[in-house]
Amino acid sequence: MALTANRLSEGDVVFWASGQWVDQFAEAELFTEEATAEAAVALAKAQNRVVVDAYLIDVTRSEQGLAPVSYRERLRALGPTNELGHGKQALGGAAITALQAASGAARSTGRLDLIRRK
Amino acid sequence: MYRYDAIDKELLTDRSNEFRHQVARRLAGELSEDQFKPLRLMNGLYLQLHAYMLRVCIPYGTLNVAQVRRLAWIARTYDKDYGHFTTRQNIQFHWIKLRDAPDILDALAEVDLHAIQTSGNCIRNTTSDPRAGATAEEIDDPRVWSEAIRQWSTLHPEFSYLPRKFKIAVTASAKDRTAARVHDIGLALRRGRDGTLGFEVMVGGGMGRTPFIGQTIKEFLPATRLLSYLEAVLRVYNRAGRRDNIYKARIKILVSSLGAEEFGRQVEEEWAQIDGARADLPDTELARIRAAFIQPGLEVLPAVSDSYEAARAANPALARFIRNNVSAHKAPGYAIVDVSLKAHDATPGDANFDQLEAIADLAERFGLGDIRVTHEQNLVLPHVKQSDLPALFEGLAAVGLATPNINLVSDIIACPGLDYCALANARAIPVAQSIAQRFLDADRAELVGELKIKISGCINACGHHHVGHIGILGVDKKGEEYYQLTLGGSGAEDASIGKILGPGINADQVAPAVDRLVEVYLAERQGEERFLDTYRRIGMTPFKEAVYVDAH
Repeated sequence: MALTANRLSEGDVVFWASGQWVDQFAEAELFTEEATAEAAVALAKAQNRVVVDAYLIDVTRSEQGLAPVSYRERLRALGPTNELGHGKQALGGAAITALQAASGAARSTGRLDLIRRK
Repeated sequence: MYRYDAIDKELLTDRSNEFRHQVARRLAGELSEDQFKPLRLMNGLYLQLHAYMLRVCIPYGTLNVAQVRRLAWIARTYDKDYGHFTTRQNIQFHWIKLRDAPDILDALAEVDLHAIQTSGNCIRNTTSDPRAGATAEEIDDPRVWSEAIRQWSTLHPEFSYLPRKFKIAVTASAKDRTAARVHDIGLALRRGRDGTLGFEVMVGGGMGRTPFIGQTIKEFLPATRLLSYLEAVLRVYNRAGRRDNIYKARIKILVSSLGAEEFGRQVEEEWAQIDGARADLPDTELARIRAAFIQPGLEVLPAVSDSYEAARAANPALARFIRNNVSAHKAPGYAIVDVSLKAHDATPGDANFDQLEAIADLAERFGLGDIRVTHEQNLVLPHVKQSDLPALFEGLAAVGLATPNINLVSDIIACPGLDYCALANARAIPVAQSIAQRFLDADRAELVGELKIKISGCINACGHHHVGHIGILGVDKKGEEYYQLTLGGSGAEDASIGKILGPGINADQVAPAVDRLVEVYLAERQGEERFLDTYRRIGMTPFKEAVYVDAH
């Protein structure tokens, strides 16, 4: 699992990495323990002035590398498919290529939890 | 066009200052997100997948040159050099930062623009015919009445917290270019037997997960009584509309559960209680608004321009553009020009900085400074001299805006879909592009003729798929993007809700499926039938068999 949110002031997609928010999925901290992940969520929620809508996403490892399980979350980590120069994908590099190559799709479980909580 | 008066300007300045203060309090942590969200939504600011999105209101789809230039400037300064025109005749910017939003609202207010009524459970931007004031078909100028509704509805204290959002469209021609019958209220201007002006009032239309065609509850409402009658409709809805379930809160559900007749009866009862002298628009105010829409600068010209006819005969590309994008104007020697935002590789409804600047320049030179937005995500220059058409065509072509495909297969409505929208289940833009790519052959597209394809990335139906001749709905099937096709919808005067063709198909199969549907139509059509007419005559079966032939 990884923890994601949007930055309050800019709206940018961010990921949690050891107490900080980073812009690239490749730099995100990965949680294997539910308790550690939930502790990070609690910390994120306390950062009301920094981020909004923090939630956990499922992550999977394939031959290409790590990627969010859900297509929606891969889009958030990359940017829109109609403008490849926009969003995080503009950075390019191996990590972005791995995300773009990832296949398979599923609902964003974290997103559903978020909706349920609301 | 209508110019904001001192009251309007003061209201926008106050609103902008108020929002600046609210944003500062949010960023300082004095407001929680739960407290702030309804405030930002009242100013058109949504949080989407990649950034904030700011939806700017374009009242009844009418812009002047300064406003278009300002939108271009905002696109360049605060966004990624483009804006996206919507099916509500608005424009939205997809890469906005919260901290910039107050400055953007200030910049908009300087040219009489704002983001009020683009979100929230209020009366939204009233939409109207993009050819208003230019077409000979209209009974009256619908902008006059749309503006009256704007003034009445903006920040209306009684109707700012409705059960759900509320959308009104005003049409004045037999040909409906506003999708009036799928609005909460559709108003169609009519001329009474005695020559007086009135409205047919249709209520309870809508799309989303429960689509309905609006039903007429009043055949002829005297035009002068419009506002009191709207007040009665809104009051009945505000009182009786459901607030316990967001999916059942629109007026269409209330009208459906009560029945149109009973709903109409309750409206009449309420209307009888309202003091018309208080609620209705005074004649003097109506006259003031009407005067603002008298088009200055129209010259007396011969019906046919020789230079224009010669240019058309000499230039096949110009001739094609004129066939598809140019319509008759009420004044001799003038034309209405549709500007397509649907080039085959473009995102439907997007216009970039250069295109917006070019539109402003061309409207200034050739179009009396008047620019309209259509609910089909295109633009219109409503007052162009025929003799200027060749130069206008060249100017549009230079920025990729001369695509000759209005109402053709590649003139597709598509919502932003999963590429941007937090609500979407599937992408819409790449599907539109794949269809446009498949029908690149302009001769074939013209042979097919009018074919309205509309794509939504979720059941909320911002892409109007329910009323597409071919509708395409993106669904999430165990996490994968699938597309459900519907046939036979129409948002025009012959409004109908499309019927599902069959099981969903994946993204790669959509364009080939559309191709097969078109082939069936071409084989079956009689005379001048459009795709929709042929479908209505022969029914679903031949189309279904063609698309699912491999499944048998």
